[in-house]
Amino acid sequence: MSELKPRKDLLDIESLSLDEIEYVLENAVPFKQLFQRSVKKVPTLRGKTVLNLFYEPSTRTSSSFEVAANRMSADVTNFTISASSVVKGESLLDTIETLQAMRSDYIVIRHQAAGVPGIVAKHTRASVLNAGDGYHAHPTQALLDAMTFREVYPDFQGRKVVIVGDVLHSRVARSTSTLFHKLGIEVGVLGPGSLIPEGRHEFMQRFASWDEVFDWKPDAVYLLRVQMERQEGQFFPSVAEYHKMYGMHSTRVQRMRELGCYLMHPGPVNRGVEITDEAMGYEKSLISTQVENGIAVRMAVLHWLKPETQLD
Amino acid sequence: MSDSPAISTQEILSPARIEEAIAFLAEEIATQCEGENVAFIGIFTRGVTLATRVAAVLAERGIHYPVGTLDISLYRDDFDNRGTDLPRLESSDVPFAIDGSRVIIFDEVIFTGRTVRAALDGLMDYGRPSKIELAVLVDRGHREIPIQPDYVGRKVETIFDDYVKVRFLENDEKEGVFLVKEKGGSA
Amino acid sequence: MARLFQNGKFWDSDRLEMVTGDILVNDEGMIEVVGVGLPVPDEVATTDCTGCLLIPGMFDMHVHGREPGDEHKETLASCAAAAIHGGVTGLVLMPDTSPPIDSGNLVKSLQDLISEVSPIPMLTSGCLTKGRKGERLAGFSGMASRGVVMLTDSGSSVPCPDLLRRCMEYAKDFDLLVTTSCDTAALTKAGAVNEGKISYQLGLPGIPAMSQEIAIDRNIRVAQHTGAKLHLQQVSTANAVKSVACAKEAGTPVTCEVSPYHLLLTEEDIVDYNTHFKMSPPLRLEADREALVAALIDGTIDVIASNHAPHTEFEKAADFGSAPFGVAGLETTVLAIYDGLIRPGVFGWDLLIERYSDRPREIVGLSSLKITEGEKAEFFVFDPEGETTLSRNYFKTKSPVTPFLDKTLSGAIRETVI
Repeated sequence: MSELKPRKDLLDIESLSLDEIEYVLENAVPFKQLFQRSVKKVPTLRGKTVLNLFYEPSTRTSSSFEVAANRMSADVTNFTISASSVVKGESLLDTIETLQAMRSDYIVIRHQAAGVPGIVAKHTRASVLNAGDGYHAHPTQALLDAMTFREVYPDFQGRKVVIVGDVLHSRVARSTSTLFHKLGIEVGVLGPGSLIPEGRHEFMQRFASWDEVFDWKPDAVYLLRVQMERQEGQFFPSVAEYHKMYGMHSTRVQRMRELGCYLMHPGPVNRGVEITDEAMGYEKSLISTQVENGIAVRMAVLHWLKPETQLD
Repeated sequence: MSDSPAISTQEILSPARIEEAIAFLAEEIATQCEGENVAFIGIFTRGVTLATRVAAVLAERGIHYPVGTLDISLYRDDFDNRGTDLPRLESSDVPFAIDGSRVIIFDEVIFTGRTVRAALDGLMDYGRPSKIELAVLVDRGHREIPIQPDYVGRKVETIFDDYVKVRFLENDEKEGVFLVKEKGGSA
Repeated sequence: MARLFQNGKFWDSDRLEMVTGDILVNDEGMIEVVGVGLPVPDEVATTDCTGCLLIPGMFDMHVHGREPGDEHKETLASCAAAAIHGGVTGLVLMPDTSPPIDSGNLVKSLQDLISEVSPIPMLTSGCLTKGRKGERLAGFSGMASRGVVMLTDSGSSVPCPDLLRRCMEYAKDFDLLVTTSCDTAALTKAGAVNEGKISYQLGLPGIPAMSQEIAIDRNIRVAQHTGAKLHLQQVSTANAVKSVACAKEAGTPVTCEVSPYHLLLTEEDIVDYNTHFKMSPPLRLEADREALVAALIDGTIDVIASNHAPHTEFEKAADFGSAPFGVAGLETTVLAIYDGLIRPGVFGWDLLIERYSDRPREIVGLSSLKITEGEKAEFFVFDPEGETTLSRNYFKTKSPVTPFLDKTLSGAIRETVI
């Protein structure tokens, strides 16, 4: 148990050892149990400051981190910085100096450019939590996905998950597939050739169709959000065509049901694109569990990381 | 004065004595709490064992009190000083209504009292008991907080740097209460 | 002040080997005597070169001087200092300044500036298109009359093949070398690294190898059609090398260059989003690197050119996606090549002299340097057993941004004689 050393930042999944992953996932369970109490708070981070620095708008992730920090009794401050008001480069270094001066204990940062949380982590004593950087990583999403999958499959080793959609632009696909692979879960991908990168990890086997996917008998199907604005006309011809070929709709839901296959999605969903209203009601959907577990996992991460701010 | 610390381990309660102490605790509790709505909460890890054993003794007499468990790591006041420790959290389990119950908190040893203070905070986030009491197997003195046990198995004189180790077969390889002295004699 | 360099090994370009001896340089900077065991004349400073090599000055045909316009990154003075510090005694400046050098007047102003501040020859190049916009031809005749050695839009590829064709046809009349950077904008877009495994793992948009390869094939075809002399900048992939080899075999007058970084590093060397590894073209695969080294050795690649592209540390301190492309190269090329390729025996000094001194001079119409009596003394003293730590204070460039920052390389340049 003491091979685990404390860590200041959570930037990606690749740098985590299996011991660390197990530690966080196991600790997330007691945190989740707190939600059943009337008092959902614990005083553990009382007096500590958590800064939520969101360079991209996000309701789901930012509020999840905010709730998690609040439930740890930390003082939470939210900054949302829109891309237009940021002068690139200049602003990053200046912002880091400001953050240092504020002596926050934890900084949760979400940024459209890959690598930024790492830069911030190098220059501040606060613990930096990567809430998503460009296409690169979204480690807490991967952790909550793993927690959710293991809840329904305690015998998760050797089980199978298919990730469907825009893998090329998805930090969720990268982090979650990496974590699942580390845990011994097989990962497959399905999607248009223009959105499944050749440079992906070798363990991500590609399927050509939903038929092939279901023949493989996956234990869960993980739908990715499709960014319509960016991708339509450039990576696939139209939303209608994407939905027809890759969307989760009635016949496919039925096959899921027959296989007892679970449905996952990181949210927010694009109804009518990657998923239908009907599929949202699928009885084996884990989507809301993912949200709940997200708070527990983020509390466990806040509990685990050790800022260097106390070193004065 | 010697420089090398002499580590001496002395058994202060044998398994038989432990059993006696537990029986004593059960007797006291049964007497004080007669007719009331009582619940036990054991503090992880060995407080749970103690609570379970006392409950078992009472069960043989036909008195059935429920036993819940509490992990107080998240309520400790020394979060900043945890150094390189990475504590594993346990799932607290309180499978009964706290409100209006007479709750007895169990821990195997009481020392500074800080652990019990954390347990009180944790317990009250579950609800509002009508009364809270404390039962310990060993009271080793040196309180830093004004908290005193209501039921004590055995009082032991110690100096601050001593360790009192309670070992139960449910948790450890052998059973017994041991006094561990790390310094050979006083300065 | 006359000087006697004693007991060093120097490159004899007639015998094509290293020869041990003494070199007496007179107070006008000319090599007066070359011999063995030369007596020491009065009022001559001696320099003991035992164990050292005397190598003819290098020539870098791809340098961004940044002046006029971006003097915070580099000035002609600091550029010259950096070159000399790196053993480079002549170079070609790219015209991508502000304003870009696209007329005879601007060439003249630049040349005047150079003569004021630079102790070494800095040759000028002129833009292919007005303002480097890729829309209309720049003023070739004015620039030619001022002595530009090549025409290039450097850093921008001429997007329209028809316009490139007209540029080449027109340039031919002035016997001017057309030099192109090789990139297809529509494929490169917002790319920051080579497209592949690393771009996936880092989550960065990728630049596919075919962006350069398509541009190279296109430019070669246009050159073949027009019969113009073409020089391709910064070749970086195995396929690109194959295209050049094919063209040369068919007799096309095409030459090309490679940077020292592409000979030594690959995309796998990019860790932690370190922007000191962000350059254009991007670092590629190991297979590409090996092909580039082989092509350098067999002559498919004619010259080494550093693409010295200084940006301030502050500018590079942005996130990897936004940071500007480019690193400094004048002070690291010789050291890095010695440390990474000569010392391990991949090739010898003779090849470096050929590719980074003789051949680039030849391409721009200069004669090669010789260490013989009657020639100008232009060489650097190299200690192969020394070591150089490339800390920030080592550099003379204003922008010490390089993948080798804070590394210690084998070899040391003791001084450059000009």
